[in-house]
Amino acid sequence: MDALRTEALTKHYGRPHRRRMPAGPYVRALTDLSIAVKGGEIFGFLGPNGAGKSTTIRLLLGYLHATSGRAEVLGLDTATSSVEIRGRVGYLPGGIALYDGMTGLDLLDYLGQLYGRTPVRRRELLDRLELSDRTLRRQVRDYSRGMRQKVGIVQALQHDPELAILDEPTEGLDPLMQRAFYDVLDELRAAGRTIFFSSHVLSEVERVCDRVAIIRAGRLVALEDVAALLARRKRHVELRFRGSAPELTAVPGVTGIAIHDSLLTCQLEGDVGPFLAALAGTTVADLTIEPAHLEEAFLEFYEGEGYDEGIQHGEEPPHGPDEVQAAGLAPTDGLTTDEPTAVEPTTDESPAGEPAADEPVADEPPAVAETGAA
Amino acid sequence: MSLRLFRRTWAAQRLKLVAVSVGLLIWATLMPLVYEAFKEQIQILLGSGSQFAQFAQFAQFGGGDLFSLPGAIAVGFIHPIAVALSLVFALGFAVAAVAGERQRGTLEVLLARPLSRRRIYGTFLVATIVFVAIAIAAQVLGTIIGAALGGAMGELRPDRLAVMWLNGVLVFGAFGAVSLAASVSFDRLGPALGLSLAFVLISYFLEIIGSLWTAAKGLQPYSLFHYLDPRGALNGTTTIADWLVPIAVMGVAILVALAVFPRRDLAAPS
Repeated sequence: MDALRTEALTKHYGRPHRRRMPAGPYVRALTDLSIAVKGGEIFGFLGPNGAGKSTTIRLLLGYLHATSGRAEVLGLDTATSSVEIRGRVGYLPGGIALYDGMTGLDLLDYLGQLYGRTPVRRRELLDRLELSDRTLRRQVRDYSRGMRQKVGIVQALQHDPELAILDEPTEGLDPLMQRAFYDVLDELRAAGRTIFFSSHVLSEVERVCDRVAIIRAGRLVALEDVAALLARRKRHVELRFRGSAPELTAVPGVTGIAIHDSLLTCQLEGDVGPFLAALAGTTVADLTIEPAHLEEAFLEFYEGEGYDEGIQHGEEPPHGPDEVQAAGLAPTDGLTTDEPTAVEPTTDESPAGEPAADEPVADEPPAVAETGAA
Repeated sequence: MSLRLFRRTWAAQRLKLVAVSVGLLIWATLMPLVYEAFKEQIQILLGSGSQFAQFAQFAQFGGGDLFSLPGAIAVGFIHPIAVALSLVFALGFAVAAVAGERQRGTLEVLLARPLSRRRIYGTFLVATIVFVAIAIAAQVLGTIIGAALGGAMGELRPDRLAVMWLNGVLVFGAFGAVSLAASVSFDRLGPALGLSLAFVLISYFLEIIGSLWTAAKGLQPYSLFHYLDPRGALNGTTTIADWLVPIAVMGVAILVALAVFPRRDLAAPS
């Protein structure tokens, strides 16, 4: 059974034009969204800010009423069974607000009691996210943004829900805590729980999700298996050699070969075996194979293939990388890659790129495969 | 109603409730004492003939007067100090109950639990009425203490004190229900507070202006304060309207809230 399913789910705000009544501001927040999340998977829901991610989540939990279409969560209709759904779901709202006057412990107790279920995972989550008892005895108003987010995660997952709906859960977490959180997600998946995970950070979706849906301007743009996407991604290759250059033009999956002095660059797609075999007679001084990230995989996907598989309804899908970028799939429009980026030089006291405490920070650099001389 | 939500609400409001109750108790204690202190002078005024009619008009204040113990107690109930204290919960708490949580963003977390909006509303409605009932009870207790200290306890009947309490709870409970209906209708505290405050102030103005100026007497029935009748309760002369109007206002406000709140879209807090 699908843990979550939407059928042409649509939400429009405002007042359309009616006879003798002027139209008010009218916003198409979500249009004809049809997705299905399988039980036991981690499903990424990706899109730039304002794309309709939170609207979708709020429709699933009964905060909003659909203009048309329908949704089911754990087999229950969201229009008629939202209370029952919320009893079986853990929800982390985006930019969570907590009761400032309570201590962290009182807050978790209170929110846990409202579920009427034992918080069986609390201790484990507190340990994982390094929330000590001492911290929990302090009032929430004294917490940093990251600590609030951690408490938010614990309150959403402490009762071990069948389905966790997490709206941008790593906002405000430092890289170590992000990693700890990903481990928590892995454990939940191993325990058969389903995670619906909204994000605008491509790298974390790539890292933790089984499948990903991309939403843009309220419409589903793509629905893809992350592993399949990554399997067909191109890798960037940099090869330093001594002597004669290897002959790679006939090697399957190798494209874009360029040789400058002793440096060869190319793109590699698919199985790496034939490529390595072709290097057999070459003295390799250095080899870097940099995997493309999800964003590039998507761009490649859109460059080379049709769109019908992912696009459900409505307007003409984007064509080519330019339109895909314009459609909101590029970092410049809200999606971020978490790649280290070039920074302006700063003073010695403040090293470039060093994050402030509890601010979102760049993830680790892209994985780089290096080999010594062959 | 959710007992856990009520307990949490109680815990969050208890200090304020104690402060308001003590304030009302002290205030209500003063009224019988003041009346007893000036009773003889007022009796002299009562016998002073032609000038009394004009004095009597200005000595009427929102259903109270200075010529009897029940009248003086009634002045204490409708006095701005007592009204302001009673409205700490009937208006302040009720308005902030939902709109305040919504504005702060904490309603998100609450609604993530298996609680229906009607249940959340019901809990806050019960909490409002309980807080108002306790505050008015403190006022009645203060009245009893004041009357006892002034040696006028014999003029008050316990059963009628209970009627006075119930009448007060109904009127301020109706204000609370209106405020709570406003609270569930808005995403921001400002509009909900503005609407509720306007209702209270207009109501108060109509009652007071009608009590001081005979030409404006016809406005009083349009005020909810007109049905706050401690003097009538203590004299055993309340009218059916004193009960039906607050109940009707409360009923309409509850129906509006129950219709509006579950149907509202609660967009993400900005």
